[in-house]
Amino acid sequence: MTSEPLIELNNVGVCYARRSGFMRSSKFWALHDVTFQLHHAETLGVIGHNGAGKSTLLRLLAGILSPDRGEIVMRATRVSLQSLQVGFVHYMSGRENAILSGIMLGMRRRTVLEKIDEIRDFAELGDFFDEPVRSYSSGMRARLGFAVAFQADPDVILIDEVLGVGDAGFRQKSAAAMRAKIASDKTVVVVTHSVETVQELCDRVIWIDHGITRAVGNTKEVLTEYQKSLPRRLAG
Amino acid sequence: MAELHAEAARAYIGILWWVAEPMLYMLAFYAAFGLGLRGGGEQAVFFLLCGLVPWKWFTSSVQNGAGSIQSNSGLIQQVYLPKVILPLISIFTNTLKFVVVLTLLMLIVSVFGHGPDVTWLSLPVVIVVELLLIVACGSLAASILPIFPDLKLVVDNGLMVLMFVSGVFFDISRLPPQAQAVLRYNPLIPILEGFRAPLLRHEWPDWQALFWVAVASIAMYAVAIRILITYDRRYIKLMIA
Repeated sequence: MTSEPLIELNNVGVCYARRSGFMRSSKFWALHDVTFQLHHAETLGVIGHNGAGKSTLLRLLAGILSPDRGEIVMRATRVSLQSLQVGFVHYMSGRENAILSGIMLGMRRRTVLEKIDEIRDFAELGDFFDEPVRSYSSGMRARLGFAVAFQADPDVILIDEVLGVGDAGFRQKSAAAMRAKIASDKTVVVVTHSVETVQELCDRVIWIDHGITRAVGNTKEVLTEYQKSLPRRLAG
Repeated sequence: MAELHAEAARAYIGILWWVAEPMLYMLAFYAAFGLGLRGGGEQAVFFLLCGLVPWKWFTSSVQNGAGSIQSNSGLIQQVYLPKVILPLISIFTNTLKFVVVLTLLMLIVSVFGHGPDVTWLSLPVVIVVELLLIVACGSLAASILPIFPDLKLVVDNGLMVLMFVSGVFFDISRLPPQAQAVLRYNPLIPILEGFRAPLLRHEWPDWQALFWVAVASIAMYAVAIRILITYDRRYIKLMIA
């Protein structure tokens, strides 16, 4: 915590325009007021129920969206977003897609080619690696995406529920790989609503509720608070 | 590059389609207009081909370029890409195809018509001017379509109308003077003429008209870039909502 934060969000809000008729639209604030800092080498969990604005927050951190109010101070140069709907080209093979997304994530073509075997092994795709991605299961796609992002070695990795997708074996492996990343001072943001994932991986947690940061702090404290709110939500 | 590679790999005969597709297209129009209406004749065929090849380049590029932000929505939700380059990628793919077909056309004209001469040197200039126009129209359409998706119909039908008023099938100079006065403002007419003049008649193109097309295109592209940069990180939101 001594150095400057990699990414800093100050009272950030994002609004979507919802079309409500011809030439008319109403505003919908997916994020109202979010403030936190992402520090170098930490693993930050973002937790919140469905529709809390987690995915919007990830897009914001990835630089895909710009905030409509508040400000973001970005000191990380390469941020990679891993989510379920990975931007693969469906009729191209896993290998070609790996090369392509590697380049998109800022790797040199040569570097990707050098690491292509590692990517294949890590993703556990075997012979499927040279089949078109459209024949993959969603777990395989997620694994491929994760493997590429891992080799691309960006400053910040953003993960959207990916860990929940692969089977138990891959989940353990990616969790282990994540821990290795954490040890090798990588910065990771995990977005999920699984309390277990957060408990297992994160140093610090942010709880977002209806686009507002409800709590920021160490994993245990925030999770206790989050869990306290759950039964109430189920009841009401 | 990925797009090209992908397209070539998708079909078994791959690159052959690049030549075959425009050939079939030209054949269809030749059958309809060359044989049917004008009673054929070698000169009529060349006239048609010299119009169709640059027209096909224009219309395919503008159409693909216009939809480029939407068709890449999966990708741009995943990584940040400057939106300015998306229409350029589609245009680049179509331009490569055009180069292949133009080479073919030049061969056909050389073998069956008049051979090359010094006026053919003007072709690169005409090509650059058309490229400017394509980049401007394609990017402008791409910058606006995600904001007003309904305009896609306007673009598609506009291109169709444009085909009929650009002198692809007939000689503009044979029209009544009133019609010509209006059509002067169609930028494609000097461009198509720019291909026909050297290839069919060994004449130089209308430099002045081409110059104004280039100037207008650059101005239009400046507007398109402005919109694309302003909405750079907002297009995504329009797609999600």
